[in-house]
Amino acid sequence: MNSYDEPTLQAMKNVAYNLGEDKSATFFARDTQIVDAHSATSAVEILPIEIALEKYEWLRKLSYSLVSADQDSYVEEVANNPANLGYFIRVRAGEKVVLPIYTCYLIDSSRFTQCTHNIVIAEEGSEFHLISGCTSNVHAESGRHIGVSEFFIHDNAIVTSTMVHSWGKEVEVYPRTAAYVGKNGTFVSSYVALGSVKSVQMDPKAIIKEGGLGEFYSVIYAPEGSVFDVGSTALLEGEGASTQMISRVVSNGGHVLTRGKIIGEKSGGRGTMACNGLLLSDKGFIHAIPELVANNPNLELSHEASVGMISKDELAYLMASGIEEDRAKSLIIEGFLDLHIPSLPEYLQRQINALVEETKVFDTI
Amino acid sequence: MNTNILDIANLHVAVGDKEIIKGIDLSIKKGEVHVLFGPNGSGKSTLLCAIMQLPGYTITEGSVHIHDTDTAELTTDAIANLGVGMSFQYPPKIKGVTLRRFLDSISQSRDLHSSIAALNMEPFLERELNVGFSGGELKRAEILKLYAQSPDLLLIDEPESGVDIENITVISNAINTILQKESPMASRERSALIITHTGNILSTVHADVGHVFMDGKIICTGNPLDIMEDIKKGGFSGCIQCIANHKEKQ
Repeated sequence: MNSYDEPTLQAMKNVAYNLGEDKSATFFARDTQIVDAHSATSAVEILPIEIALEKYEWLRKLSYSLVSADQDSYVEEVANNPANLGYFIRVRAGEKVVLPIYTCYLIDSSRFTQCTHNIVIAEEGSEFHLISGCTSNVHAESGRHIGVSEFFIHDNAIVTSTMVHSWGKEVEVYPRTAAYVGKNGTFVSSYVALGSVKSVQMDPKAIIKEGGLGEFYSVIYAPEGSVFDVGSTALLEGEGASTQMISRVVSNGGHVLTRGKIIGEKSGGRGTMACNGLLLSDKGFIHAIPELVANNPNLELSHEASVGMISKDELAYLMASGIEEDRAKSLIIEGFLDLHIPSLPEYLQRQINALVEETKVFDTI
Repeated sequence: MNTNILDIANLHVAVGDKEIIKGIDLSIKKGEVHVLFGPNGSGKSTLLCAIMQLPGYTITEGSVHIHDTDTAELTTDAIANLGVGMSFQYPPKIKGVTLRRFLDSISQSRDLHSSIAALNMEPFLERELNVGFSGGELKRAEILKLYAQSPDLLLIDEPESGVDIENITVISNAINTILQKESPMASRERSALIITHTGNILSTVHADVGHVFMDGKIICTGNPLDIMEDIKKGGFSGCIQCIANHKEKQ
């Protein structure tokens, strides 16, 4: 087993990359160096992307097919990056992998730009759970992380992807994620960011085929000085395709744009979107931008959005029970951010809850 | 030595610009249970909210002392921590906070197993606080909260409102347990101020003193069962007439 220094271990812990936890496969990279990439089961293949692209000719055709290499300047930067950092994960057809696959990218050097390209393949009827941590070491306050991720979820496969971020105050983050969800496939994407960051800009997309399901959940706590422009887009391309988008955002001085877009193409498509924001300080703002696009009359698309402050009644009630004001506010905020994700296995939900508990940074309230 | 848990003197309370409580005096000794009767809108709940210094309730004159401590400058949580617990008539829903989490936050590691069982609240521990609770469940959760806080003074707002007969028994038994009703009066440590509109709670919870509260004032004090009997006969308008007759005689 690799040995890590204390700050690195802490950074890993902040994104749930716990060395002691049982995993089906792991991947860990520090700056451009891949420290660990191994699988504990034959059901999961995990390789550095560079090696995988050499090994499998067919993979080269998939590379940058969901996220176009010229989509924007950030993707171009990744596509042209000589380090070729990233992982390839494939879960074989019919395999139900119970233990999660953990990956972690660490920015270890200040002012470093970490470019990554990941390709994840869930073969037909497979099922697995991916937890991706992205973090910076305590001494690397500034830097950039640009991550391109392409998910190919074949028919009847189930993938949950939980992305957890914990950054330094001056780090800029540009994830570029897209997923293809085959017939009756399921893609559950969850994003958790509860700490400091300079800016995060992302809009993961899913193309969902017949009977497929795409779920997007995000839980964001935006402290002063942070800028989040986060959203998700679902293209209901097949008949009976469905999506659900839920975001919970707390701004304590941070600037937050929270977007959601559902595009319905075929009959029987269903999509719901809910964005709830809690604004703690007049220094920040939350701008919710829900969009519904219906290109077929037989669709059910809906959205709800709300932005408000902490309820005075709830605060008074908790204080009348003997809880002091700051603790009462924390309790309300924790409750607000405690998003139950029905598609996640219970142990994974517990793990995420524990992570929220550990990484919450509400000290500036 | 002052054995009073609560001392209220010449209390005036306003909500916004409107004076709701217009000068009341009330003292509750250790171990005593007082009941406030009064019609809707008379200011009974305002009194409890003002004791807790909840936002929106302004004490414009007079004082409240808990255990001899003047609460004028204290925050709501500090008043609660002096040993005051309030069961709300309409507790708010708090999403994402489970009943278990809430109880853990206020119980200071007290063992609540038997109280949870007595109030049939086990199935609700992982539910969000007060979200989707029925009338009876809300009241049971509020009483369980009092168990967790273990206060010296219980302020209970309309424990029987919106509650079926079965739940009234469960709630009354729980209140009696918290108030140590099985112990002799002299050894009881806890007191209560209970608001009741109907008086039904008196059939199961023994009270020592009753007050009729109308138009922001206590207009009559006496044996709670006698008062309830009079109210049943003549309504609250009978109370007004009774006071007028009494004054005339004097």
